[in-house]
Amino acid sequence: MHGFHGRLLTIDLSAETYEWRALEESRLRAFLGGIGLGTSLLYDFAPAGVEPFSPANPLILTSAPLVGTGLTTTAKYAVVTKSPLTGFIADSLSSSFFALELKRIGADAVVITGRSSHPTYLFIRDKQVEFRRADHLWGKSPKETESSLRSELGDTGVRVAAIGRAGENRVRFATISNEGRHAGRGGVGAVMGSKNLKAIAARGNAAATVADPQGVEAIAEAMRARSLGTMTAKYREIGTVANLAVFNRLGTLPTRNFQQSTFDDAEELTGESLVENNFSRRYGCASCTIRCEHLFKSLAGEEQRLEYETLFALGPLCGIQDSTTVLEAARLCDLYGLDTISTGGTIAWGMECAAKGLLPEASGIGLNFGNADAVMKIIPAIAQRSGLGELLAEGSKRAAARIGGETGDWAMHVKGLELPGYEPRSLKTMALGLAVSPRGACHNRSGAYEVDFSGEVDRLKTDGRRGMLVAASEDFSAVLDSLIVCKFLRKCFTDFYAEAGDLISKVTGWSYSADELKRAGERIHTLKKLFNVREGWKSNDDWLPPRLLKEALPTGVAEGVGLSESELREMLQSYYRARGWDESGYVPKAKLSELGISM
Amino acid sequence: MKGAEARDRASAVILAGGKSSRMGRPKALLPFDGEPLIRHLVRTLAPLFAEVVVVGGAGAEFVELMSLLRSLSSQPNELNEPNELNQPNKPYQPNQPNELNKPNELNQPNKPNLTLVRDEIAYQGPVGGIYYGLREAKGEFVFLTSCDAPFLNLALISHLISQISDYDVVVPYWQERFQPLHAVYRRSVAPLLGEQLERGELRPIFLYEKVRTRRVSEDEIRRFDPEGLSFLNMNTPEDYEAALKRWQRLAEEQRGRGGPHPSALAPMPPGGECTVELFSVARLLAKTSKIDLALPREATLADVLAALSDRLPVLVGPIIATDRKSLTSGNACNINGRTFVRDPKAPVQPGDSIFIISADAGG
Repeated sequence: MHGFHGRLLTIDLSAETYEWRALEESRLRAFLGGIGLGTSLLYDFAPAGVEPFSPANPLILTSAPLVGTGLTTTAKYAVVTKSPLTGFIADSLSSSFFALELKRIGADAVVITGRSSHPTYLFIRDKQVEFRRADHLWGKSPKETESSLRSELGDTGVRVAAIGRAGENRVRFATISNEGRHAGRGGVGAVMGSKNLKAIAARGNAAATVADPQGVEAIAEAMRARSLGTMTAKYREIGTVANLAVFNRLGTLPTRNFQQSTFDDAEELTGESLVENNFSRRYGCASCTIRCEHLFKSLAGEEQRLEYETLFALGPLCGIQDSTTVLEAARLCDLYGLDTISTGGTIAWGMECAAKGLLPEASGIGLNFGNADAVMKIIPAIAQRSGLGELLAEGSKRAAARIGGETGDWAMHVKGLELPGYEPRSLKTMALGLAVSPRGACHNRSGAYEVDFSGEVDRLKTDGRRGMLVAASEDFSAVLDSLIVCKFLRKCFTDFYAEAGDLISKVTGWSYSADELKRAGERIHTLKKLFNVREGWKSNDDWLPPRLLKEALPTGVAEGVGLSESELREMLQSYYRARGWDESGYVPKAKLSELGISM
Repeated sequence: MKGAEARDRASAVILAGGKSSRMGRPKALLPFDGEPLIRHLVRTLAPLFAEVVVVGGAGAEFVELMSLLRSLSSQPNELNEPNELNQPNKPYQPNQPNELNKPNELNQPNKPNLTLVRDEIAYQGPVGGIYYGLREAKGEFVFLTSCDAPFLNLALISHLISQISDYDVVVPYWQERFQPLHAVYRRSVAPLLGEQLERGELRPIFLYEKVRTRRVSEDEIRRFDPEGLSFLNMNTPEDYEAALKRWQRLAEEQRGRGGPHPSALAPMPPGGECTVELFSVARLLAKTSKIDLALPREATLADVLAALSDRLPVLVGPIIATDRKSLTSGNACNINGRTFVRDPKAPVQPGDSIFIISADAGG
């Protein structure tokens, strides 16, 4: 087998045992790697209805066929589990050297179940798995844990993925982190923490072969060149923070918990200003030519990586306008291992509750929009689940359910996952993409905003084509996330399915057509949905927060624009039709056989 | 600079003090489109300028000029008596701005403040005329033209004005010649011209070598005025006849298209400009977030990008394709926050805001 090892490593933390198993070629061909393989394994390994923090909930790490091929942006791995935030699938990606090392251990996937009786870390070296005590690491940040373990294991070639305090404390939006990158969304770090698993250290020598090394290298060479063209200039020159200024101008920058879509005080936070005033250096993942990571310095002199989602969530969403606060808040999230989007989203919910007098504890610490001191205090409290942090560590959906009343109207989540920085009312295709996404409100599993920004549709209006466009976007993302190719390379392909099909053929030796790849995308996405249905998905889970359906945007170029329930309902129907699902959003049996999915 | 801002900060100067020797009669008083040429010019320029200064010669036609211009003034009843004009170079000011008659008031958009000034030491060539015009104008910068050029093109004039921010002079270069009598001057260069006059340096090019001068290329001019009619002046009776015929032909063409008479078209309304807002890499390269551009009639995105290329050549390559009419693949354009456009033929209206953004909104 080329491109894969054809092996699965299962680890039982309760029994401290592990087992190498064969992975069927048919499964790999059908689901590829990354998110696709992870979804397939989750469906099989997670007992139906499993509690996310139960030892039986599998934490699955997957590699992918392109990892290690030298193709730019492909040093990535996926983490898949049942989310403690949504109760549905959590599928998260991270990247860089840990991804390369994970593949070198000789497995295409690692399925971790059970729970250690004490803090533990795993040291996976070639075919051996060691269960080691991690008491001395407990409480450390992911970064400190990485450096401690590499030093402790006496091998700088060891790569580490770890959780911080938030994961240890089962904060429902805790991350798994490696080398400053994060499997960020859905609370995968909390699941890891629930298993008393602090870290996974990997070291290996098993290289997967490729079927046509020269052919792969020729494609890799071409993609390296394309990756340095104008299509990626934004990522190279400014990074994702470039979104903030233009989103603000387009009335699609969520501000003060989605009460507005423009932020008057945005100037200091624009990517352009950050590059001019705070730029420190540019960095990149392993095997990446784009090198999108921009590190910025705050007034305090600390160097901090900042992405648009972090910037929006800890800035305008909380009414924060100064870069020093945002950079420091981002540093704290990294320190504790917190998803910055859900952190900002949940804090913003708390701020609005405080403003309306519905959360006395929040008022007590001055958790008001724009109060930098309160943000600095509440982030550590969330990570440690102390004081008001205990409530906010549950995420906005559960917190609102606990406080009750109308606070649910402004808990800005879908299925429990807080919304990213794309205002749905002024990006109508994205509104649908967010509503139906299996992992909850997410800008990565559906890049539906691309349609809104393309001019192909009127972004401020709805129509019957959005369902088809969102479905196509989801399938495309599913393929990217399973090969795995970074989304920032996506526009460097001229005919994605044909080129990627050719690439996967050259890597695996299979004859993989563009059509087969498209079908794989649909299959992967459909299986995510099937998992959710099995775990209790109902039609009303494909919906948006009440605020978005009740309030029109008050400012900016999209002033007066709203989204009605009937508009959303019509888009949902167009989506289910495009997917070939029934009008309630369930997948009919005929679709399963069409996609070759056997239950 | 937007139209309204330019209207506040810019004056127009019309040089009407030439000898008219080959024409045989004062050019400023030639009938043109049913009125004396000077009135035609003032009316044409009025939408763009809060102040128009006419530099008249020392001859007898000065009084006649004043009489003609009275009806175009925003405050015709406050005209000074002609006998106050006897002092050399003393400006004649039909009115003074006051609180009720701010230059940019929209209630009288075509009634500028008119100033008539006498070029006492007349016939010193263009430098003398430019000097007197600049000295009397109140605007921070001045569009200067001569009274024998009837085919003024407001889109081109707006474009020239929009270029002055970083320069002292913006001068068209048409058919391998500078056009000093259809150019924009910063008023602060007036003392330099005075010194030139003293030294007898009567060619404007001496000034251009000393100050920040923006030479506007023929390609750039053609976007607004394809035939260069702006520079067509009348020196002989034959020129005059030809100009009248051309004007008539233009009028007929307009009528054939169902459009207005060219006399109505020529004063294209102010605001024949758009604002380009730059984001992301474009902003970093340009070192500015916003720039105003004058638009030709029936402008398209290609016209905007061509004008942007002229103003910010640094964008050509990374942001604007080398054809200067389209964006590179990594960039996109949105008009007024509403419509995303890529087609260079997409229409652009005066007053539009054009956002140049990254084509990739991934975050």
